[in-house]
Amino acid sequence: MSLRKDLQELREAEVISAEIEERIQQYYQQKSDASGSRLFVVFGILGAILVGLGIILIIAHNWDEFPRSVKTIFAFLPLLLGQAIGIFTLLKRNDSIAWREGSAVFLFFAIGGSISLVSQIYNIPGNLSSFFFTWMLLALPLVYLLRSSVTSLLYIIGSTYYAVQMSYWSYITPPAYLYWLLLLLIIPYYYRLYRTHPDSNYTYFHDLLLPLSVIICLGTVANGYGVLLIIAYMSLFGIYYLVGNSWSTNQKGQRTPYTYYGSLGTVVLLLIMSYDSIWEEIRQESLVFTELLSTTEFWVTVVLSIIAGGLLLRYVRKHSISKLPPIAPVFAVFILIYIIGLYSAVAVILVNILILVVGLAITRKGARQDHLGILNYGLLIIAALVLCRFFDERLSFILRGTLFVLVGIGFFLANYQMLKKRKAHAE
Amino acid sequence: MLNKKVTLLLFILLALVQLYVPAKMILRREEIIATGSEYKFETAPVDPYDPFRGRYITLNFQETRVPVTDLSDWKEGDVVYAVLGTDEEGLAIFTEALKSPPDTSQDYLTTQVEYIVEHDEKGLVLMLPFNRYYMEEFKAPAAEQAYRDAANSTGREASALVMIKEGEAVLKDVLIDDVPIREYVEKAADDQP
Repeated sequence: MSLRKDLQELREAEVISAEIEERIQQYYQQKSDASGSRLFVVFGILGAILVGLGIILIIAHNWDEFPRSVKTIFAFLPLLLGQAIGIFTLLKRNDSIAWREGSAVFLFFAIGGSISLVSQIYNIPGNLSSFFFTWMLLALPLVYLLRSSVTSLLYIIGSTYYAVQMSYWSYITPPAYLYWLLLLLIIPYYYRLYRTHPDSNYTYFHDLLLPLSVIICLGTVANGYGVLLIIAYMSLFGIYYLVGNSWSTNQKGQRTPYTYYGSLGTVVLLLIMSYDSIWEEIRQESLVFTELLSTTEFWVTVVLSIIAGGLLLRYVRKHSISKLPPIAPVFAVFILIYIIGLYSAVAVILVNILILVVGLAITRKGARQDHLGILNYGLLIIAALVLCRFFDERLSFILRGTLFVLVGIGFFLANYQMLKKRKAHAE
Repeated sequence: MLNKKVTLLLFILLALVQLYVPAKMILRREEIIATGSEYKFETAPVDPYDPFRGRYITLNFQETRVPVTDLSDWKEGDVVYAVLGTDEEGLAIFTEALKSPPDTSQDYLTTQVEYIVEHDEKGLVLMLPFNRYYMEEFKAPAAEQAYRDAANSTGREASALVMIKEGEAVLKDVLIDDVPIREYVEKAADDQP
């Protein structure tokens, strides 16, 4: 053990006292104990997931030698077993994260296994979405009663799958409104997790999954007026970005996933909107205002935009307008462009200019902060814009070629300048 | 934080609900099988796959159309109460599409409109909520193959035996030439050299 040796050496050289040596040793001892129990938690969860999935696969084999009555009893076995483990955990192992997570995860899969076996025995075609909906509702209380974060994550994934299956992948695709109810039901857990353990990995995974789930499922509200949702998405990304920025960073100094989703989402959506074909579609859509008032898409868009606008105002009041990050106000500008786009083809040019401005602003910010990452992100946005135009047949080859050369030189110069500046500082 | 007793009580309550849902599904199906009326639908089996619930064969029904005189009342995805009858050969057909369950003791099926046929014979094509028949993973592809071979050579008939009660249906068995498909597959496997 090299630490012990080092400490001994330091004590003998009278750099530290014997007391300090002991305290350091104790500290590392405790730390390794903690990581040992963390390993136990990880293996407990992984084990439960594997066993649970295994049971589902074994059930899916469909044992048709057994008569119906025997198979029916089998349908309840994993469920009863999971519930028994759950009760044992509550009574005897309530303080152990590994037991709580493990038993909840096992029971989560047992519920799914049980319902699928019953559907199998009675040949219930029951579409996959209603199967998932029942499963998630029956599993939700486990999250709260056993305080299981992994079950909460599985629940978010399952709810997302429900919405996607129902609204994107089915033959007749009604909006999956119940998804929002499922989502709402998990928010209290997420909130508590965020308040009590802001820096834990569980919180980080929730930060990662929950906003992603909303991004995936926002499109499910489309029911005839899908083009309106472009604004809704842009405002959602605006909200993410502003929320991510005002929570700023957690204690480890990491940015939250919200910032990344907001920033990347905004840029990607802008790039998609830099093509004229979508704007043609928007112009052709005859939007009658009185009809709009009765669509869900319209109200979702309005609510999201108002929230985003509110967050933007708060940010400006708190930090002054000069400190506003370049991505933050994009959604507001985009709404104006969209309204112009309803009547005029000039919108597509405005979007291209907007991307260029955002790219340049981020590049400049990176240069000022002496941050190569931000600098190159800005340059990448400009490069992506140029790449999109590269495949745009409406522009001439000479123009496209010149653009490419200019951006390439820009990349080189900006990075070179910054590195030179750093070198000068260092000297 | 909830105290331990309350948590335990809630957990037991949850466990009961978790048991109740599959139990309820089972009891309802058993009731339909025991007391429903039996219909035979002409069909053809194909073999897809569901990652969660295993292998099953999908049934392609011959008769999924119900004649309707006024199509303007209907659109895709509408709930429909389809009254059942039988043709000369004793196979099930749909005779009438209703917006609410029939008052009489006629058998009917509650389902959705899949699409609408506007030319030739006007009518609604229905989604039949019993188009899956689960089989053991190795038997399902064999079942489809056995049916195809048989259909090619002799034009055999496949049919689905469905129990129906109060609009709900349970698929009881799939028959090829009036032999249950499980037995048919086993026989076909034995006959192979």
